[in-house]
Order: sequence, then C-alpha cells, then structure tokens
Amino acid sequence: MSPAEGSAAGADVLTVSDVAVRFGGVAALREASLTVRAGTVTGLIGPNGAGKTTLFNVVSGLQHPDRGTVRLFGTDITRMKPHRRARLGLARTFQRLELFGTLSAGENVQVGLESSVKWWQWRHVRSSFPTIRNRRADGAEARPTGPGSTAVVTSDRLLDGVGLAGLADRQSSALPTGSARMVELARALALAPKLLLLDEPGSGLDDAESQSLGELLTTLARGGMAVLLVEHDMELVMRICEYIYVLDFGDVIASGTPDEIRTNPLVQAAYLGAVAGPADGSAGGGGNRVEA
Amino acid sequence: MSNFLQYTIFGIMLGAGYAIAATGLVVTYTTSGVFNFAQGALGMIAAFCYWELVSVDHVPVLVAVLVVVVLGGAVAGALVERVLMRRLHGASAERPVMVTLGLLVILTGVATIVWSPTTSRSVDNMVHGQFRLVGINIQYQEVLIIGVALAVAAGLRALFRSTRSGYALRAVVDDPDLLAMAGVSPNRMSQYGWMLGTMMAALAGVLLAPTQTSGISIAAMTLLVVNGYAAAIVGRLRSIPVTFAAAVAIGLAENYVINYVLPHLPQNLTPDITYALPMVFLFLALVTLPSVRLRAVGRLTTMRAPRVAGGFESIVAGLVFFVAAAIVAITFANTAFKGTTVLDLGGLIMSLGIVGLSLVLLTGYSGQVSLCQFAFMGIGAFVMGKVAGGGSVLGLLAATAVCAGIGALVSLPTVRLSDLYLALATFAFADAVATGFFADNHIYGAGGVSIGRIVLPGLSFGGDQAEFLMVTAFFVLAAWLVLAIRRSLFGRRLVAVNDSPAAYATVGLDIGFTKVAVFAIAAGMAGLAGALYGTVQGVVGQTDFAIFPGVIFVLFVTIWSIRTVSGAFLAAVTYVVLNQVWPNGVGLFAGLGIILIGRAASGLLGIEALQVRLPWVKGSPDTAGVRPAAPLGGPAMAGGSSRVAG
Ligand SMILES: Nc1ncnc2c1ncn2[C@@H]1O[C@H](COP(=O)(O)OP(=O)(O)OP(=O)(O)O)[C@@H](O)[C@H]1O
Ligand SMILES: [Mg+2]
Repeated sequence: MSPAEGSAAGADVLTVSDVAVRFGGVAALREASLTVRAGTVTGLIGPNGAGKTTLFNVVSGLQHPDRGTVRLFGTDITRMKPHRRARLGLARTFQRLELFGTLSAGENVQVGLESSVKWWQWRHVRSSFPTIRNRRADGAEARPTGPGSTAVVTSDRLLDGVGLAGLADRQSSALPTGSARMVELARALALAPKLLLLDEPGSGLDDAESQSLGELLTTLARGGMAVLLVEHDMELVMRICEYIYVLDFGDVIASGTPDEIRTNPLVQAAYLGAVAGPADGSAGGGGNRVEA
Repeated sequence: MSNFLQYTIFGIMLGAGYAIAATGLVVTYTTSGVFNFAQGALGMIAAFCYWELVSVDHVPVLVAVLVVVVLGGAVAGALVERVLMRRLHGASAERPVMVTLGLLVILTGVATIVWSPTTSRSVDNMVHGQFRLVGINIQYQEVLIIGVALAVAAGLRALFRSTRSGYALRAVVDDPDLLAMAGVSPNRMSQYGWMLGTMMAALAGVLLAPTQTSGISIAAMTLLVVNGYAAAIVGRLRSIPVTFAAAVAIGLAENYVINYVLPHLPQNLTPDITYALPMVFLFLALVTLPSVRLRAVGRLTTMRAPRVAGGFESIVAGLVFFVAAAIVAITFANTAFKGTTVLDLGGLIMSLGIVGLSLVLLTGYSGQVSLCQFAFMGIGAFVMGKVAGGGSVLGLLAATAVCAGIGALVSLPTVRLSDLYLALATFAFADAVATGFFADNHIYGAGGVSIGRIVLPGLSFGGDQAEFLMVTAFFVLAAWLVLAIRRSLFGRRLVAVNDSPAAYATVGLDIGFTKVAVFAIAAGMAGLAGALYGTVQGVVGQTDFAIFPGVIFVLFVTIWSIRTVSGAFLAAVTYVVLNQVWPNGVGLFAGLGIILIGRAASGLLGIEALQVRLPWVKGSPDTAGVRPAAPLGGPAMAGGSSRVAG
C-alpha cells in the first residue's frame, strides 16, 4: 500500500512499519504502517481513539512502540530521543496544545528558530544584550533580539505566514485555541522541517482560516516538505491531501487517493460505527463524516 | 552468627518502621498526587505527643497510641488536606511541594518552642521483655513493630486491591472526572488518603521513637524517614509491596553497614558515612527508576509572566540600588541591631540575596526545586576558607566552580526523571551534607572554618563598609546576570522547558542538558554566595547551613516571589531580620506565609492589591490561574500516573 507510482511525490521521507502500542488492555496501535513522501500532504484520518495521536507520538519519539520501526530518510529512528529526531528535520504540532505558555507568541517561534544554537555559541551572550549592534555579512546592521533583530524579523514573518500578524507580543496562553494552534504551526515551521506532523490543526479555525491553512500546507508541500496531516475536517483533508491513510482501532484499514477513500466501504463502515458510538467532545467542530 | 541474626532482626525492625512511613507516603501520593515532605515531621510530632502522654502524664500505652495515632493522625490528616492542600488545585507544579515543606517547618518550629531541645526525652519500649530463639534475644518490641508493619501493609494492599474502595482511591489522581461522575467526591477520597497517610506517619514516629537511644530529638525524628523516601521511590510511589520490601532492605543494609563496615573504617569517617547512608540509598533508588515518559499533557500554564526588566532599565536600577546601599553604609556605619552591626546584617542579606537569585533562575524560570542551596553555600564557604589563605579572589572562583561541579553531579541522576525527584534528591543531599559534612568535627564543626576578608593588590575589603559594599556589588552583578540570562535565548529555553517539556524536546532541544546546566549555574551562584557570606561572618560553623534554614529560605523566596529579582532580595531581608528578632519563630512565619500565599504563582509581589500600594514593584499582576488539568499539579510534576499496583 504505497502511494501510486508516477505521482509528483519525491523520495520516501517517513516510513512507519508494523508499529504496535498497547496501553494496559487497550491496543492503541496494532500493526500500523504508512509512508510519507517529500513534496506531498498525506492525510491520516480515523474515528476518535483510532490511534492517530499515538502514531504521532511514536514518530516524534514521545512514545516507544512495543513493536515495529520508524524510519526517517531510511535511518532507523525507533529508539532515538525526540530532540535528535527534531534535529534530523522532524517537527510537529499537538492536538492538546503544548505552547510555551508564559512566553509570547513571538518568543514561542523564536525558541524554535534558535533551537540550533549550541551552548558554546557567542549568540547566547549577544542575545542578552539587545542593544548591542553587530554587523551582518551583507553589511546591514542587525540586532540579535529586540525589535529589528533577525530572529524577531523571521518570527514575525512566520507568524504573518500563519495569519497571526500583529499578535507576536501577546502571551501565548492568552490566545484563543485557533490562534494558539497557528502559533504551534509557526514554531514548527521555524525549525525548517523536512517532515511536518500536524495533529488536528484545523480545529478551532473558522472557514476562512481553514481555507488559508489548506493553501499554506499545499504551498509548503510544493516547496518539497513532507506533511502528515491528522484532521477531522474531511473537506479540508479531501481537498489538499494527495494520499490518505485511514486508521481504525489501531489498524490501517484503507489507504489511497481521496477518491478511493471516499468510496471505500470499509472506511464508511468505520466512520458510521464511530458516529453511532458514544459522542466525544474532543472531536471539535469538524465532524466525522466522510463525503460519499 | 548470633550477632548476625541479632543485627538482622534489628535491621528488619528498623526497616519495618521505615516501611510504615514510606507506605504512608505512597498512600498520600496515590490519592492526591502530592509527595508529603512533612511526613517525617508529622511522625516527629506524634512521637513527642506520645512521650508527653506516657512519660509525663502516665497515660496507659494503649490509650496513648490510640489518641496519638488514630485520633491525632486522622484529625491532622483531614485538616492538612482541607486547609492546606485543597486550595492548591491548579497551582503550578512546585507549589504542593512548597506547601508540605511549609508544614514541615511549622511543625519543627512549633516543636522547638513547645519541647525545648535542651531537655532529654527518652521513650520507653511499648512492650517489655524478650525471648530467646535460635540463640539470640528477640525483644517483644521488635516483634511488635514488625508485626504492626506487616499488618498495615497487608491492610492497605487489601484496601487498594478491593474493587470499590481501591478504584475510588486510585482514580482521584488518574481520572477525577470519571470518579465524580460515579458519584464519589475526589476531594473526599483525597482527604481519606491524607488521613491514612498521616496516621501512618504518626504510627511510624511512635514505633521508632524508642530506637533513639539517646532520646528523641526534633531533627533526628523528622529526618528519620528520609530512608522511607528511598523505599517509596523504589516502589515508584505506587506499589505498596515493593515499597515495603525496599524499606526492609534499607533497614537491613543500614544496620549491617553500621555494624560490619564502619568498625573497619577510620574513626573520623564513621559519622559521615552513617549520615550519608540515606542519601546513598536515595540515589541508588533513583537509578532504579525508569526514565519518565515525556507526555503531551495539554497546555497547563496560563499564569501571567512577570515583566522582565530590559538591559538599560536593569543597569539603572542596579546602580540606584548600589547608591542606596552606599548611603545605608554611611548612615548606619556604627549602628547595631540586636547585637549585630547593621553592616554585617546587610552583608548577610546581600549574600543570601544571591542565593535567592539562584532560586529565581532555577525554580522561578525553569521550574525545578532545589532544597540544597544552603548546602552549596556551606561548601562554597568551606572552599573559600581552604583556598589560598581564606581571603582571596581565587577562593571565590574556586567556591563557584566546585559548587557548580557538585551541582551538576547532584542533578545528573534526576534529569531523566520528573522534577519531583530533583526536589527529593536535593533534600537528601542537603541532609547528608549538613549532618555528615558540616557537623563533622574534623572537617567543619567545632571551631568552624575561618574565612578572611578579601584583599586585592592595593585594595582591601577589611573595613566593614568596604566589605558590605563589595558584597552588595556582587548581589547587583548577580541580579544583572539573572536578568540577562532571562532575556537571552537560554532564558527563553528555561521558561520553555518548564512550560512544556514535550514541545521543548520536539523542537530539538535537549531537556536533560538544559536542566543540568541551569542547576549547575544556580549551584555555582550559591557557592559564591556562601563564600561571600563567609567573608562577612569571618567564621562559619555547623549551624549556618543546616537543612531546615535552607528550606525556610526557599519558602521566603517563594512567598515574596520566586519569579522576580525583588522577591529574592526581600526574602533575604525577611530571613535575616526575622532570624535576628525571633530565631525560633522564623519557620512559623515561613510556613504560615506559604500557606497563605497558596497558589499565587508570583507570590506577594504578584498580587495586584499589593502592587497598588508598592508602586515601585515591577511585574504584571498574577491574576490568571492555571487550568486545573490534574489535581494539585502533583502528577504534572511527578509525571506518569500514580496508580497503586496491588
Ligand atoms: N497515555 C495513554 N494511556 C492510556 N491510554 C491511552 C493513552 N494515550 C492514548 N490512549 C488510548 O489509546 C487509544 C488511541 O488514542 P489516540 O489519542 O491515539 O487516538 P486518536 O486517533 O488521536 O483520537 P482523537 O481523534 O480523539 O484524537 C485510545 O483508546 C486512547 O484512550
Ligand atoms: Mg488524537
């Protein structure tokens, strides 16, 4: 079950093979396998509790799988620590927000931008004295932090890019959920990732915002990034994903192009089953329907 | 052989006593997510009350036990939960730790006032007599303790294993909403947990009191359960059988070491090793723990961050502060306050202020709790006194460097664990250093360590005014350093690692490295502060850096505001002045203060009403709370679930 040959997609960025995770009696993932290619937006959908977030945690290193392997650019990263994976080019956002709440939106993004600065680098010292000017290679003057500094300019640009222009100085924990999700996205983009995992970025966004989110993700993919998107807003998923995996009770029950998924009877059964089951408030406004 | 059996029985009995206290810790932690640092102090109070009833009032033993353990324990536990802990829902993760520490210093403070430490009080065995078995004498008291401990452990295990009560008690922390939906009040369950835990603390105190052959002392009884900490950790704060087994193993190990190893060591090492044992056990226990799993828990912090002064602003404020200090130095040059010159007190305030600043960096920014900053001070003063004649700049550097190094070593075993374990490790380290190193007559004790005043070529700080201003200058520099760090990218990282470890790791930053680094910096600052403190005092002795004063100081910083430079300074002023006025009451103020502050994250300085009256206090008001995702913030700090394994 790999993406159709001959598509515009590039090399395999992420390969998850037969990953299994149990929490006590609950099998969150049974034998999940999927592949994400450079230059594509890949969808990962499934009813509540299907194991999507658990899969993200396995890929980003927050959860050790009981079995199976995770490969990034062909390297086995199954046992690698989360921060090392990030340095290889993996970034993610969280379904339940994980912002640096006491920092401003702009500073959240700056932490991402500066994450490659090593402890011995002079920039640590420079960054504590925002008033010291230093000359950049191109002759322009730049300040390490504070208004006009390179980090701030870049973080402002990233925040602009996710539609949060002007909110840089707001304390991030005081932002509404939709904006907070976009701060997480900007912070992830600050790492200039090669693989971006997004866990329900669209919940809490209005129609116009989720429209521009779709455009942003398409643009990023066109630039060569591999995007793995978990989203309950089926309309968005069907529109921007090139390939979609469907997870149910920890198993990949289907995969294919949006058209194939839309008409797959297994998928419809899984979703109908979920809709008939107990309602879950965390589903957000997206709804669980698959458009037939 | 018969000696060996004798030691074994005694070791098992000691371990059984630890086990009672330790399983009590497990019960409270399971049902409320809070690690009770006051467990030992509660046991100590119980032991003294029991002594009072039995030895002074001649109440029958059984009645005394019922009154102290069952009645006293239950009432005290219920009160602690209701009055102290319940208000902390949604507080930042370190706050429950601080409040149980507040309880600890209140109890030791009250005990010091009620039971004068100069009187000797020995507690008799509850049951007398002995019998012979396989050639050794076994005391009925030993049998009693072991039997009671087994009965308690079995009873608890049954309680937690039974479907209804066990589920309800466990679910308080794991799933309070579900519990509430099932019609059980999580608060009520927490309260039962605290009652049980406190009764067990009291029971341990009463049973272990007779083992103190030279009479019960407040500090010794309070610290007796540090061994229990290690046992509870081996049981991962949730398994009662494992905790019990670990406690017995520790009791045995302790008694074997004392009887078999120590006699072969040089005489002057003996006390140090005895005192270091609990810490050794604790560190061994920490190593057995599996790494904490990073979990995305959802956004917790919504507290407003205090404003950070800009570079220019902090430079101006620092200079103004220094000039004000100079004016004080001139005005009060020859004034004394309660027998100490104002300049000396000022010097102490400034050096303690630096310790406070180290806590702002460590706890205020990065959220880690250290209870051993005073131990670093003591080590710093010691190094200062021993290097290059005891009054050189080299000594200051050495004190800073040595303490930073030791700090890295202390924090290293805990970085892969959750923050609670750092607090525990630092508590054990402070205890070991204070009782083993500082109190040792060969190293530190008796006459103390002399430290001279600093002499630079052409510049001497021998005069009191010059000395005071020099220490003040160091305080100002340290404040600049802390603020500069906060403004820097490292400072953003410190705040970030506290706000969301999961996000911190997934943006490519190394949590462990950051935590060790900031701990080492803070330890170095405390070491420098200790060296400076030494130059002010001239001689530092064994009581200067004891464990409880260290805890009290941390509480004062938290009360004022552990997130601001002014908080650190005001804490130092409070601590030094109160110590001068009413030394025995300092702990009471600190404990009551932290209880009153409750969950206000930025302390007194963060309270809006106060800021109106103190217009020069900077920082935004601490109005916003924290979304109470987990009760009491305990599990957030300790990480993982706190399920009791049956
Ligand atoms: N830390 C955990 N401990 C125990 N069970 C867990 C844990 N995390 C997830 N689970 C369980 O694993 C299963 C998969 O959860 P997961 O969060 O991965 O689902 P999801 O597909 O992301 O669902 P949603 O659409 O609601 O976000 C669920 O049954 C969940 O209850
Ligand atoms: Mg999910």
